[in-house]
Amino acid sequence: MILTGPEIDAQVKTKRIIIEPYDPSNLNPNSYNFALGDKLLVYQNKVLDPHQDNPTEERIIPEEGLKLKPSRLYLAYIEERIGSAHYVPIIKGRSSIGRLGLFITITADLVDQGAVGQWTLMMHCVQPIIIYPHMRIGQMTFWKPTGEPDLYHGKYQHAEGPRPSESFQDL
Amino acid sequence: MILTAHKISEEVLSQKITIEPYSSSQLNPNSYNYRLGDSLIELLDEPIDPHNAPEVVYHKIPEEGFLLHPQRLYLAHTLEKLGSRDYVMSLIGRSSMGRLGLWLQVNADLGHAGTEHHWTLELCVVQPLWIYPRMIVGQVSFWEMARASKEADQSKRMFYQGKYAEDIRAEPSHIHVEFAKYESEQR
Repeated sequence: MILTGPEIDAQVKTKRIIIEPYDPSNLNPNSYNFALGDKLLVYQNKVLDPHQDNPTEERIIPEEGLKLKPSRLYLAYIEERIGSAHYVPIIKGRSSIGRLGLFITITADLVDQGAVGQWTLMMHCVQPIIIYPHMRIGQMTFWKPTGEPDLYHGKYQHAEGPRPSESFQDL
Repeated sequence: MILTAHKISEEVLSQKITIEPYSSSQLNPNSYNYRLGDSLIELLDEPIDPHNAPEVVYHKIPEEGFLLHPQRLYLAHTLEKLGSRDYVMSLIGRSSMGRLGLWLQVNADLGHAGTEHHWTLELCVVQPLWIYPRMIVGQVSFWEMARASKEADQSKRMFYQGKYAEDIRAEPSHIHVEFAKYESEQR
């Protein structure tokens, strides 16, 4: 089951959901609007290889905005630290951003139960678009799991800022 | 928890779910197939800037079809009015369209409780693809909510009253309104 906005608020107050910093004005009927951090990573190589540690370059998103190109993948991050040992967060786009053709995640919208951090956004635009730091870029929903919990202890725990793929560790 | 077809049809009858027009033949085991409306919007700005109202052009999808191109975004809408105050909607494509490389929305599959509108679809394609008016393009599912104890009082419940609450056709993004509001607060 998906939590309502008032239930997300109640669970943040009892610390069963972590959203830091938290501002109740970002609550929606069934989610919390999160902000875009001010850094991006771009892969240096055109061809990516999951067997390798693909080198990245950091870019700061200036106040006057940064133009994204359709041909590139950009790794950004959620400014807030978000997670829960009791509920499963799922990242959703905002329709105001989707209507501009900006993807913020690529097939991996699920945050494991127990994982807390600044989650990486995988950004891809259909047409060129300008993005701004701190803009409300997406929304986090929270879902009630069923069964005994087995909490996350993976490689992206306590992530700060954007993190490139570490898939080469799995191979 | 996700509703079954039987429960969806029950809640349409009890008016807890709005699907207009409704035909039970469009029910799937856990969703309802929606149709494509006949209008389309293209965004002309290069680059798109969320600070400004987008410059758009309207098209009508002719009976003989409309060809979509990669690296272009098209806003369309569901023929049906969809909504509920008691369930959350999730709107996705159909696997038959996914297999042709058509996206129906860009990460924004969530329909908040209280929404009741013709849903704007964000179409983009991997390879060029023809679309036709009234074709069945996607499906919407309905999910139960876990409420806070204070929501036992109806007046404490939260319903969607946002920028797109009463849309009757495809609507471009209104994100620039948020930027303007934020900037006037900073002044």
